[in-house]
Amino acid sequence: MTPHEPVNILMVDDQIGKLLTYEAILAPLGENLLRANSGREALENLLKTDVAVVLMDVSMPDIDGFQLAHMIREHPRFGSTAIIFISAVHLTDVDRLKGYSRGAVDYISVPVIPELLRAKVSVFAELYRKNKQLERLNLELERRVAERTRELQESESQFRSLANSIPQLAWMAHADGSVFWYNQRWYDYTGTTFDKMNVVGWSSLVNQDHVERVAQGIQRSWSTGEPWEDTFPLRGKDGSYRWFLSRALPIRDAVGQVARWFGTNTDITDRKQAEDALVKSERLAAMGRLAGIIAHEINNPLEAISNAVYLLQDHSSLDQEARYYTQLANREIARLAHITKQTLNFYRESHHSATVSLSEILDNVIELQSRRFQLNSITVDKRYRTPGTIQGFPGELKQVFLNIIANAVQAMPEGGCLRVQLFSSRERRTGRQGVRVSIHDTGMGIRAEYAKQIFEPFFTTKETKGTGIGLWISRGIIQKYDGTIRFRSMRLKQGYGTCFSVFIPAAVATQNADSAAEMIAGGNAV
Amino acid sequence: MLSSKNIMTVDRKAVILCVDDEENALALRKRVLQKAGYEVLTALSGKEALDILRSGKIDLVLTDHLMPGITGIELARQVKSQHSEVRVVLLSGVNEIPNGADVADAFLSKVEGPDILCQKVAAILNRS
Repeated sequence: MTPHEPVNILMVDDQIGKLLTYEAILAPLGENLLRANSGREALENLLKTDVAVVLMDVSMPDIDGFQLAHMIREHPRFGSTAIIFISAVHLTDVDRLKGYSRGAVDYISVPVIPELLRAKVSVFAELYRKNKQLERLNLELERRVAERTRELQESESQFRSLANSIPQLAWMAHADGSVFWYNQRWYDYTGTTFDKMNVVGWSSLVNQDHVERVAQGIQRSWSTGEPWEDTFPLRGKDGSYRWFLSRALPIRDAVGQVARWFGTNTDITDRKQAEDALVKSERLAAMGRLAGIIAHEINNPLEAISNAVYLLQDHSSLDQEARYYTQLANREIARLAHITKQTLNFYRESHHSATVSLSEILDNVIELQSRRFQLNSITVDKRYRTPGTIQGFPGELKQVFLNIIANAVQAMPEGGCLRVQLFSSRERRTGRQGVRVSIHDTGMGIRAEYAKQIFEPFFTTKETKGTGIGLWISRGIIQKYDGTIRFRSMRLKQGYGTCFSVFIPAAVATQNADSAAEMIAGGNAV
Repeated sequence: MLSSKNIMTVDRKAVILCVDDEENALALRKRVLQKAGYEVLTALSGKEALDILRSGKIDLVLTDHLMPGITGIELARQVKSQHSEVRVVLLSGVNEIPNGADVADAFLSKVEGPDILCQKVAAILNRS
């Protein structure tokens, strides 16, 4: 409808004369003038055409003006149709008119003043035209909204397929942080569903040691609207944890309010492991360099002293007492040499690891100690449930088990039983697969107050005999394999028992032991 | 412990050239080897050692590895290329065998002590 398109004006009166009079008065407005002789005829007209203004007498024979007005108002189609009553005004009528006050309703009292009637009809006709225009604009607007919505839905579905194809876990949350969407990767990794996530919450998947810090950080971002970033392990569906770099960015609306949050979790486990391995390698390399320097500075004068004492001990000028002193000196020199050799053995081996069998290494060590077992009445109980094949350096591994077994032998001066077990195992704390060697003795046990010191350097319970570096070195070697060494000492039915347990992870050992050895080989002074 | 009786007594004493940049260590090592029945010459550097070698009559060079100028391994390489019949034993303050040490006939840690040193030297000289 253009601004000047004529609208329909319906005039209702049972007296044809009045209708003609109204027609004459309204003709100059240029609208379409329709006539109805009764309320019924008026309704017929209304159902057929859109009517802008109904002009009607209140009192008509079949349906009176108020009844007609009521019917018109009941019908939603005539919402914008104006009604003008022409009537001798009674007070009661005015009151009744108020009942329609929400619609466009007016009245004109008789005698009709032509200008007034024309003016009122003109206003309502114009209003109707405007309403229609508005309606049309609204329709257009609705159409556009629908179009835009469809576009949004399309872009949303594009976004989702994109979000599902990225390697990251992704999610979206409302401004308050309640998550309303996760991408497929999230579900694939965590093995959860949206409903399950709603019940348990994402924090149930964060590693215990990190959950408090993570929750605090993210809560701070929810309230300040600042981007969030943190790094922590998330539990996968198999129960093992992987490290993720997690970020959340606020998406703001036109006035800068946070509308929602978009978050990603990027798996950085491999990077982190490589970094950790590098840090460890660098530390080992630094230790290696230091040990190399110390060894060089000790070994050189040590050789001179040892040669000097060697020449001195058989010297003809020495009396018996002096010779005794040279013997003492020689013994201490031997001890010193032993210490530097033990320490440096750690860093010494060939640069490339080999496939070694822990069962062979254990057999070898037990064989070496067999005479001592006999002398001390120690029975040996070997229980190997796997060959224990790993990548490593046989010499240093032998050193580890020799240290532990030699300690066990010394703990059983009255005889006893040494049980050596080798089996595939899964580390409970990290879920890593690997091999475990456990060595039990029925000796004198380890006193609780020593438990913390036992792996410290220069700790010994053997008075003058030990150097106190055996277990320290052993632990250093096992750590190089990313493994652990632990012990437990307890009271048994008869006497005590001590168990040393060495765990070497299957996969990580290969890679790290190699790289550590490479670094050391490269960084060592000779 | 080794005495001079155990060492080969062919027509003449074996001659050992001992090389080290540390004088004390060198002097003591010389005495240990003399006591074991060898004739011992000394040099304080690789360069000096090569000069002495040119005069001939050296059976074995016992050299430290870490020295200023020519290292023990470098010296061993030159000895082997110029005097292929001369045996070389490399001595080092650190237990690790350095890369390239296989050019020498043997590698020995200083920590092993005089007995092992004499045994090793005797074994290398007897190997022919």
